[in-house]
Formats: sequence, structure tokens, C-alpha cells
Amino acid sequence: MEKKFGVYICKGCGIGEAVDIEKLRKRAALKGKVSADIIKEHQVLCSPEGLEFLKNDIKEGTNTLIIGACSPRVKTNEFDFPGTITERVNLREFVAWTQEPMSSDAQSLADDYMVMGIIKAQKGDLPEPNILPDLSKTILVIGGGISGITSALEAADAGYQVVLVEKEAALGGWGAKLYKQIPREYPYEKLEEPIVFSKIKEVESNPNIKIYKSATIEKTDGQPGLLDVTIKTNGTSETIRVGAVVMAAGWKPYDASKLEHLGYGKPNVITNVQMEEMAKKGKITRPSDGKEAKKVAFIQCAGSRDPNHLPYCSSFCCATSLKQAKYVREKNSDAMAMIFYKDIRTPGQTELFYKTMQNDPGVLLTKAEVTGISDGGNGNLYVEADNTLLGEKIKVEADLVVLATGIVPATRAPQEYLDGLTEAGKKGDVAKKEYLDNTPKPEFILNLAYKQGPEIPSLEGAYGFADSGFICFQYETRRTGIYAAGCVKQPMTIADATEDAAGAALKAIQCVEHVAKGIAVHPRAWDITFPDPLMIKCTSCKRCTEECPFSAIEEDEKGTPFYKINRCRRCGTCMGACPERIVSFKDFSVDLVGSMIKSIEVDEDEFRIIVLACENDAYPALDSAAIKRIKLNPKVRIIPVRCLGSMNLVWVTDAFSKGIDGMMLLGCKYGENYQCHFIKGSELANYRFSKVKETLDKLQLESDRCQLVQVAISEYDKLPQMIEDFVARVEEIGPNPFKEL
Amino acid sequence: MAEATVIKPDLDFVKGVIASGGESLKKCYQCATCSVVCNVTPDNNPFPRKEMVWAQWGLSDKFKGNPDVWLCHQCNDCTAYCPRGAKPGEVLGAIRKQSIQQYSVPGFMSGLVNSKIFFPIIFLIPALILLAVSGFSSIPEGEIKFIKLFSVEAIQFTFTPALIFGFAIGILGLMKFWKDMKQTGGVTSGNLTGSIVETAKEFLGHSRFKDCTVSRDRFLSHFLVVYGFVFLGIATAIGVLYIDFMHVESPFSLGHPVKLFGNIGAIALLLGVLLMIANRFKNAAKVGKGSYFDWLLIFIIFTIAVSGILAEVTRLADKAVLAYPIYFVHLVFVFSLFIYLPYSKLAHIFYRATAICFAKYSGREKPLKTSN
Repeated sequence: MEKKFGVYICKGCGIGEAVDIEKLRKRAALKGKVSADIIKEHQVLCSPEGLEFLKNDIKEGTNTLIIGACSPRVKTNEFDFPGTITERVNLREFVAWTQEPMSSDAQSLADDYMVMGIIKAQKGDLPEPNILPDLSKTILVIGGGISGITSALEAADAGYQVVLVEKEAALGGWGAKLYKQIPREYPYEKLEEPIVFSKIKEVESNPNIKIYKSATIEKTDGQPGLLDVTIKTNGTSETIRVGAVVMAAGWKPYDASKLEHLGYGKPNVITNVQMEEMAKKGKITRPSDGKEAKKVAFIQCAGSRDPNHLPYCSSFCCATSLKQAKYVREKNSDAMAMIFYKDIRTPGQTELFYKTMQNDPGVLLTKAEVTGISDGGNGNLYVEADNTLLGEKIKVEADLVVLATGIVPATRAPQEYLDGLTEAGKKGDVAKKEYLDNTPKPEFILNLAYKQGPEIPSLEGAYGFADSGFICFQYETRRTGIYAAGCVKQPMTIADATEDAAGAALKAIQCVEHVAKGIAVHPRAWDITFPDPLMIKCTSCKRCTEECPFSAIEEDEKGTPFYKINRCRRCGTCMGACPERIVSFKDFSVDLVGSMIKSIEVDEDEFRIIVLACENDAYPALDSAAIKRIKLNPKVRIIPVRCLGSMNLVWVTDAFSKGIDGMMLLGCKYGENYQCHFIKGSELANYRFSKVKETLDKLQLESDRCQLVQVAISEYDKLPQMIEDFVARVEEIGPNPFKEL
Repeated sequence: MAEATVIKPDLDFVKGVIASGGESLKKCYQCATCSVVCNVTPDNNPFPRKEMVWAQWGLSDKFKGNPDVWLCHQCNDCTAYCPRGAKPGEVLGAIRKQSIQQYSVPGFMSGLVNSKIFFPIIFLIPALILLAVSGFSSIPEGEIKFIKLFSVEAIQFTFTPALIFGFAIGILGLMKFWKDMKQTGGVTSGNLTGSIVETAKEFLGHSRFKDCTVSRDRFLSHFLVVYGFVFLGIATAIGVLYIDFMHVESPFSLGHPVKLFGNIGAIALLLGVLLMIANRFKNAAKVGKGSYFDWLLIFIIFTIAVSGILAEVTRLADKAVLAYPIYFVHLVFVFSLFIYLPYSKLAHIFYRATAICFAKYSGREKPLKTSN
């Protein structure tokens, strides 16, 4: 496309009062190397007249627009001009609202931002979507429990073909093993019949759903839209093509044989799963002699919230025990149910069910640390507890003890196995072989033929759950197009699981539809650009294939990387990783950002600091600070990046050789409870930064001039001060010695 | 490490408390706001939080020999501040009822007296007894003299044993209670005389009531009722003196000491009980309006006061048709008060006094806020 430029400056929202527009036009023309006539101003660009003014120019051939107005995060509908390159310069939030009006600082900031915008538009290109042929929109659902069935029905009802794969011979999962269900509706008093059976009927009679029972996934190959899945049923294999996957592989109860300290192994100590079976059969009895149980003790958090067992809360066991207490009471009004808990956790409206059960005279509750279960003779047991509400060390006789065991996600065993394998692999081939020979291989779920491994990778602090981007985007996993639903993702009740499953189905639908249009999926769900490497310069160092958070880059037989583009989320981590700097997007590249950095006016007497701000959290936080009119330090120049993972080290060199005094990276929190939208971006940037610090030290440039700061979107009020602090530290160090060169 | 205590949950006890006016019992989630806001609980091991969970678990043993439920004056500050509407004040009242049942022999009598089902019967029986004593006489002719209906001897031979019975059962109960408290608390010695004197002082001054916040008005109503009874007691004593020893025949003139004490007492009693009723309605939203157990006693006292005053008024107005039946009703209720003394809520005069005395004796007492 031959570019015809147009530069527009809006004077609305205080911009006209904050900077001298005439000066700005002149400087932008000079430094941006564009003709002064194409730089136009308008009172309110987003008004109908303003937009008409822009559209007239577009009609007359202008196809590359640089609009100096408000933040690119607002007025996106107004400034949407298909077929053009539209670069928006944030004069309102970063200058007019955060600087002293008509100051020289405000002026030079506006100049720099306008020039950077012009350069970005000059360096960039109009993107074209990359749409692969032969795409499938079929949705594969793994797991025929309540979550999987719900996902399948939701997707099928939305008009999509669905393939449902269940490992067992019958559908239903744990939901079909229940006697009754926790109430889901006001007034939360009556137990419900299990809802799964009617759903099984629906799913089995739905013409859009093909069901494979007693089936497992042998292999999943390809990429969203083109996933070739091999399903093994009773020894025969069949390969089908699907577009996206809902992984609702469910959970297993925690192994109660590890709970000997809570009496498991004694005949009258059972788990909550066994309790369901018993209630389904009829009376609540003691396994030892079949006598009706009249004093039933429930031990909550049996192996949960316990660092030696499951460190997390399984979310539904409290409600389940309250429900089972109701079984006890309904089947025999003279029977008592005693519940010993760490804390009762009944999230959401289940609290109302808790209140109902508290009101039952025969449901006795106390906070307690259960210290042991001892024999009381005649098959009876003593529950021994400390720190109870009853005030002291107590012993209570029970004729049946129910352990409220928690859940282990189906993803955990494969993850642990694979992590073990990676660890063994680090020790060498012998250790690896030994591991493979001696470790029983658990059931895998996906069997991905991906470079980065066959399953959803484990994540620090996720305890084997298929969690990722959890805080903001619960369905995402680190394998694009594969969405987790139900208890494989997080412990939840049936009511929660059905909602969750519907959401995951919608995400899978969004994925196949986006892929069909060549648009990225979450979180850049508008983006049609894609990484386009200059392969001739690739050295096959494989850093990109290692660092890609989504295993979007595979290697051919010679070890040369290539993209499975529909797996890519366009974070640019590969671009940041590549030492040859060959990865580019049409509107984002190492050279493009480098040129923006180099365009910044550096005065010998002035400090200049570059802030690379993550577009997902840090940049919106800066906008929010601006809305609150919190002053921003005028010495900083903010450049948005897709993710800190896209930060290429050459930018540091570009900046310091140019005379920039400091560089600050603003990215998301990493590690446990990370907030990075691309999982590891800020962590990788920090790692790369630590490397550059060594180099800076060698150059006798103080490494403190570079700093990565983790910031959450909610910390917008503190952010300007964080920047002030950094600037102050750089000022203390003194100007960049390269300035004079 | 201390040995674990074996606890024995008893579902029937839980149901009993709930049935006795503690229907909010199970709502308690043990936040302990009640114990924090209570002005009368000792600081160490305060009530009513622990009593609430004990009652929820049906640990009837814990209430045996437990002075705390009786140290509670049902100010209902706890109930007013309870975030869950568990009404600890009401629940403790229900537990006290259970406790009376536990200590006043025979136990079934307490259940009978405090059960709604027997409401008319418990007054019908004394009525029949008194009818029999009066010889089923019709309304006497001539100047109204109540001795025409019941001779002095008839009154003394029915009411004196009734009162002695009431006190005897009550004292038996309190002795058992005292023994249990000593055993439970592991208390072997203390200053008994001093404690009794202190208890009496506290009672006479009603000082503990002044520590209540929400129901402070109860000080006045309870004070009036108590001193109403005291005056009526004095009037009776003087009456006995005049009738039995000085052989003066009733009725006495209005200026007579018997009438003076009697009328002042009657008015105090009526005012006090009316205030009690008003307070209960006024505070009902905040603290609950009480159980049958509470209302039964209020009803008896109210009827005694009203019938007593009306009997006198109708007598002076010379309305025999009204005066004699009202006097009869008055006697029925006074008789009921006496014989049900150890079983009704009135039994608290034994158990609360004993508990307060024990708290002083054992050193488990909160210093009065108002005394300093």
C-alpha cells in the first residue's frame, strides 16, 4: 500500500489549552519529516463534524492517519476507519490531563508523542488477516460429567457440531453418583434430585452431538480450527477434525487411605463419596454391623487445606456435609449429625442452605481441630478435637464418622508425571530413562502433539488444576483453543459447574469463529496481525519455541521453527526473545519501537526516562490516573507494548546509546497469583532485564537505571508515585554519561 | 496436656430449649458479640456465648451446677446486638426454665406448670381446692366481709402450708444447686456469711439491674414488683399480728397500718407489673417479647394485683356480687403463686440468689459497674 499521510490534532478536552498547537504542528512536521500542510487541527475530532472532516480526507486518498487526541483505549468506534492505518497519539491523558498547561514540559511531551506516532505509522503496514484453509467449527468436549454435558448442550444449542468423549461406559460422572443435590434455588432448603440424568437424556438425543463412551483421546495434533483428534474406543481408533476443545475432565476424590490419622481404615469411618452411595441405597448404617447410625460425625477438610495433603479448599465439601447431615436427619429424626469444621465455607447463596441446616436442632456444628479418631468400643468411635467452640479438648462419641474429602483435578497426575520427567531430563539421559522405566504413567487427557508437551502445563500455585489467567479470564488455558470447565479448573459445586461449562462453550465458539476470520483469540480478540518472521535470518536457536507461553511455535525435522499460527495469541514474546530480531508484526516490531525510542528528543540538561507500559494493565492504569488528573512526571515518555514479554533487549541499547537516562518497565505481577495476560511475559522481561544489567554494569552504566515494576490495574492511584520514585532514583545516579557522546 | 473431656450431646435437651422459648437457639454462629456487650458477665469465661454452643450441642451436663445462666439478668443487651437474631437473652431464659425443671422436685411439675396446654388446668385445681375449703358457699348476705366466705382459719390452713411447700421445694432445689456448683467449680471454701450479706444487699438495692443497657427500665419495674410484694408481706404479717394475737376482726379501716402497707404494696405491684408488660412490648423488636414461661408469671402477678385492688374497691362500694367472686379469683391466684413458686419463673428467687451468692463465695463475680 502506498501511504498517504494525514496528521490530525484535536483541540478538545483541554488539549488546545494545554499545548501550543501551532508549535506542535511545526515540530511534528520537522521531526516527523512530513509536510506541514498535512498536519491539521480540529476543535473536536470525535464530533460528527470532526469525523466528517477525517472521512473526507480518507475519501480523497489519505490512508495513514495519525490522530493526536485521546487515549487509543477510548472512542474506538469513532476512530475506526477500515482499510487505513490509524495511529492514535494520547495527547489528552498523557499531556493535557497530567501536565502543567502551556508549560515547556507539556509542549515537549506532546512533540515527542506526536513524532513517535508519526514514526510508528511510517514504519508500520496495513495488516491482512491470516486465514488458514479447511477450518472446522466442531467443538470437542472431553468429559461426560455435569460440566461436559452442559458444555456440549450449550454448544449444540448454539448450532455447532459437538463431539463428546467420555472415559467411562456411561455419562454422568460424579453427579450421577449422588443421592441428592445441594439446593440451587431460593429458599435453599430442599435437597434436589440429581439434575444430571435429565441432561444425559437431552445430550443423547441431540442430533448435533456425537458421543463416544469408554473412549480416550489418543492424540491431539494441529491448531485451533484444525485440531486432528484421535479417539480410541474399545481398541479402535478414529481421527476427527475439530476446531476447539472444552476440557471438562473432572476430578477424583482425594485418596482417603492417606488419612489414617483421621481414622480411615476403621470399619465405621467412611468418606463423603461412600456416604452418597449409602444414602442412595437407603438407611444410614454402620458398615461394621449394619445398625442404623444415630450419631454421625462429619470431619471437614479431611486432607484439605492441609500442607501435607491438599493445600487448597475444595469449595463444596462443607455444603456436601451439610447436605449429608440432612440425609442423616431426614432418614431418622432422632439421629444427630455433628460437624467438625475448620471454617464453614459455603460460597455464594449456598450460605442460605448453611443457615437452614444450622437451624436444624439435630445438626451440631463446631469449629475444631480434629486431633484423632479413637475406638470407643462396640464399633463406636471417639472424635477427639482441640480448640473447639466448646472451649476445651473434647471427645465425642460417634457411631459413624464421615470424612469430607476434597478433590484432585484430573490434570494433576499427568502434570506431576511430566514435571517429574522434565526434572529427570535435566539430570541427563540415564536419569530420564530410569524415570520413564520406574514411574507409572498416569492417564493423559489431551495427548497433544505439541513441542512443549502433551498436556496443559502445570503452573506455580495452581496445584495441578488447569488454571491460567485465572484472575480475569477463567476459561483460558495455556493451550489456545482448549478451554477448561468445571472441577478440572477449580473446585466447584454442580450449580457453579453448569454456569462454568456454559461459559467455556461460548469461549470455544468464539475461538472457532475468530480463527475463521483470522482474528486472534483472548486477550487480543480484535487483532488480525500475526508474527511474520524473516526466516532467512533465523539461526534456529529455539529461544522462541522455548519461551512462547502457548507452544505456538513448532520445529521441523531440521530444527527450524515455524508457527502454528492459530495457537498464537500475538503477545510478541517471540519478538522479544529473538536475538536476531527477525520477528515482526505489521504494526509492532523491534525496529518500529526502536525507532520510536530513538526519535525522543534528548536535551543535555534534561533527564529523559522511557516507560515501556504493558497494554493490558499498566497502560489502562496510567489512563485511569489521568482521568483522576494525577500529575505524571514530565520527564517520562510512555511507549505501550503488547506484553512485557515482547521487550527486546536491543531497545535498552537503543535508549542508552541515545542518551536516555533511565528505563522503566511497567508490567503485571508474576509468580504465584500472576496477572500477566500472557502468563509469563513480565517474568521473562525481568529475566532478560537481569541479563542486561550485567552488561550495563560492564559498561559502567549503573544497572539501577533499568527497573521492572509490577503493577495491577487497580493500583492506578499509586502508579504516578512509583514513576516519581524511579525518576528520583535516576536523578540521584545522575545523567547518562553517553549523553555527551 | 489436659485430658479431653467427654461430651454427651443430647438431642432432647436441644429440643427442650427450643420448645421453651429458645427457638432462635440454632441461629447462633458463635461470634461472641453477646459476651462482649454483656455488662453483667464476669470477664473470665464470660457468658452467654459458651452457653449458646453448649445448648446447641445439648450438653445438659454443662448446665448442672452452672451459676452463669443465673448470673444473667436477661437485660437482653446481647439479644439487641446479636447480628444473627439468635436472641441469647431469650435462650438463656429457656435454659433457666430447664434448670428449674432439673432442680425442683418433682421434675414433671415444672413441665406441667410451664406448658401452655395446662394453662387453664393449673388454675382450675387451686380453684376447686378453695371452693371445697369455702364449703361451696353462695355469696354471703349483709355487710361485705370476706371472712364470711373464708374464715381466718380456712385461709391460714390452706395458704400457710402452700407457702411452706413452695419454699421447702425451692430451698431443697437451691441446696442441690449449691452442692452441684461447688462440685462443678471445684470450690471447697469461701466466706458464706459475707456472701449472703452481700447478695442480700445487692438484691435490696437492685444494683445489678442498673448495669443493663437496652432494658434499663427493668430496674424500676422489677424494683416496684419486688417491693410491692415486700409491702404486701409486711401487711400480711401485721394482719396476722392483729387478727391472731390482738383478735381484731377484718376488714380494717383504710388508715390502719395493715391497709396502709397493703395498699401501697398493691399499687407498687400493679405499677411494676404494668411497666413490665409495657417494657416487653416496647423492646419486643429489639430483644424479643419473651416466652410463655415469662408471660405466665406476669399474668399471675398482674391478676393478683388487679383482683386484689378490685376486691377492695368493690367491697368498699358494697357490690357483693362483684366483690366476693373477685376476692375468690384473687385467692386462687395467690394460692397458685405459692404452690407453683418452685416451678414457675418465680423460682428464680431461689436460684438466682443462690447463683449470685455462689459467685461471690467462689470469687467468680464481676464488680458492679454502678458501684464505683
